[in-house]
Amino acid sequence: MNQTLYNDINNSISGVAAVEPILQASEGSNETVSMFGRTFTRQLTSYTIEGIPLTSDLIDNYPVLSTNVTAGRNLEAGDSGVVLLSENNSAYFGVGVGDTVSILGQGFTVVGIHGTSSASDRLVLYMNLSDAQAVTNNTGYITSLRVFTQTSDLVTQVSTAISTLHPELTVTTGQERLTQLDSLQSTYNTALESAQASIGQTQTTALEEIIVVVAATSLIVLFVMLYTVRERTKEIGTLKAIGFSNSSVMGQFLLEGVLLSVIAGAVGIAIGTLAAPTLSALLLPSVNLFGVTGVRVASNVASTAVVSVNLEIVLLAFGASVALGALGSLYPAWRAAKIRPAEAMKYE
Amino acid sequence: MSKPVLQIENLSKNYMLGKREVSALKNLNLTVNAGEFVAIMGPSGSGKTTLLNVIGCIDKPTSGQVLLDGIDVGKMPENQLYKIRRDKMGFVFQTFNLLPYLNARENVELPMEGKGKSKAEQRKRASELLAMVGLSGREGHRPQRLSAGEQQRVAIARALANNPAFILADEPTGNLDSQNKAEIIKLLANLNLSQGTTIIMVTHDSQAANHTERMLLLKDGKIVKEKAGLHLAKKNNKCPNCGSSVQRTDEVCPSCKKPIFQTEELFST
Repeated sequence: MNQTLYNDINNSISGVAAVEPILQASEGSNETVSMFGRTFTRQLTSYTIEGIPLTSDLIDNYPVLSTNVTAGRNLEAGDSGVVLLSENNSAYFGVGVGDTVSILGQGFTVVGIHGTSSASDRLVLYMNLSDAQAVTNNTGYITSLRVFTQTSDLVTQVSTAISTLHPELTVTTGQERLTQLDSLQSTYNTALESAQASIGQTQTTALEEIIVVVAATSLIVLFVMLYTVRERTKEIGTLKAIGFSNSSVMGQFLLEGVLLSVIAGAVGIAIGTLAAPTLSALLLPSVNLFGVTGVRVASNVASTAVVSVNLEIVLLAFGASVALGALGSLYPAWRAAKIRPAEAMKYE
Repeated sequence: MSKPVLQIENLSKNYMLGKREVSALKNLNLTVNAGEFVAIMGPSGSGKTTLLNVIGCIDKPTSGQVLLDGIDVGKMPENQLYKIRRDKMGFVFQTFNLLPYLNARENVELPMEGKGKSKAEQRKRASELLAMVGLSGREGHRPQRLSAGEQQRVAIARALANNPAFILADEPTGNLDSQNKAEIIKLLANLNLSQGTTIIMVTHDSQAANHTERMLLLKDGKIVKEKAGLHLAKKNNKCPNCGSSVQRTDEVCPSCKKPIFQTEELFST
């Protein structure tokens, strides 16, 4: 829009304290993505130029500049031919404070770098409005006006007045912006909650699975060892007859159960270590913040949330297998110890 | 006179069979002296197995006294009895009962475990015993690579491992063909002669029993008959057939030309 609107609003509407004309222009490239047999073009923004009028009146009295300068200095009244880059810009251009950066073919000196305070100003570099107009070939034009009212209760009145005077303009009040942000925030929160719930559910499922596995393992050891004891009744009877004590027979069977579990544990850990990355991709929920089902997003999440096999888990698994082996063999070993030496005499 | 290794006085053993009390042994008396080769015979249900179990410290007597090498085992708790089984007797089973995953030498070493002997001592003793039963050079063989007769030899070597007061053999020839049966009986007889090993053999095989020195017939829980066997004659260097003097190593009597090991039905039932 034409910059003349600025004077119009500044002068003809009562309750206006100041008006900040802003020119915003983005520079970027197009990327073509093929997905599901179709081709999409999406715009990738490299950086956004935001031109703001660097007058001492605005700078001193109104929040027009970034409040989070991490290196160098902020823009000052009367600055020209200089830019305040975001950290992202700095990395994109490969320049730092004091360097000269070429923007749309024109050189600017980097005076400072601002840390991003929101996702929206991640790519924004600030410069004098007139510089921005010149470099983007938009002299006399602006993209938006920020209107400050004298008191906060005048906001509705001023916004109505602007809308009446210039019906072609979209007027957004700070309150509405806040509501919009709130809504966005709550959308994010909902997505996050659902993701957390999803992860929580996976954890619960995993816990249930662990309990089932532990119970099953103990039972398998129990039954296998009971079977072994039954099969070897005669052998155990012989051992008792030739002078083995109850405790040494019990000890032997406990040891056997534990040894079997140690071997099983080692094999299990080996398989687990090899299979963990594949399994994690299969088991982890497809967390998608934007509610869009997409294979691409899901696989991205899975690749960042790999199930890692660390020493602690390995030791825990090993300890658990040995403990379960001992637990499962306890009763069979006791049964073995109770076998009478007379079993050795049985003729089958 | 040699000292008794087994003294049984007024031994009774009753079982509860359902609600009925069955008397398996009735006031039985038996003494076996060191160096004797005794056979206990009897038909099924005679109390043979019960007597074997009582002597083997597997069953406890209902009443009466059982002295093993002078120790009263009748009232002994199980946590003591295993030591008696380990130190005072050597079991020989009908089915040999060697551990299949251990070789001959390891099987013989088994009873020595928990006796505080070093592994080297155990090995040495096991090898000596295997040589004694005629199996030197076969120490490393597992039971499945040995014949039935050889397996029973290993079992006899195992029974001797802890130098017991007596060998308690339960039908040691029951699973053997006639040739191996003769071999095992000969081996036991030779051990008795050369090492002075006391052997108590429970069997229903009259042929085998015939070659011991003293045969006891058990019937209805009592010893009803006792008779001298061929081995006694051989021990006394007399031919069992004609009574003339023989050498211990003789297979055939020099005077009557009859084999010293011959079959003869002793107990006509």
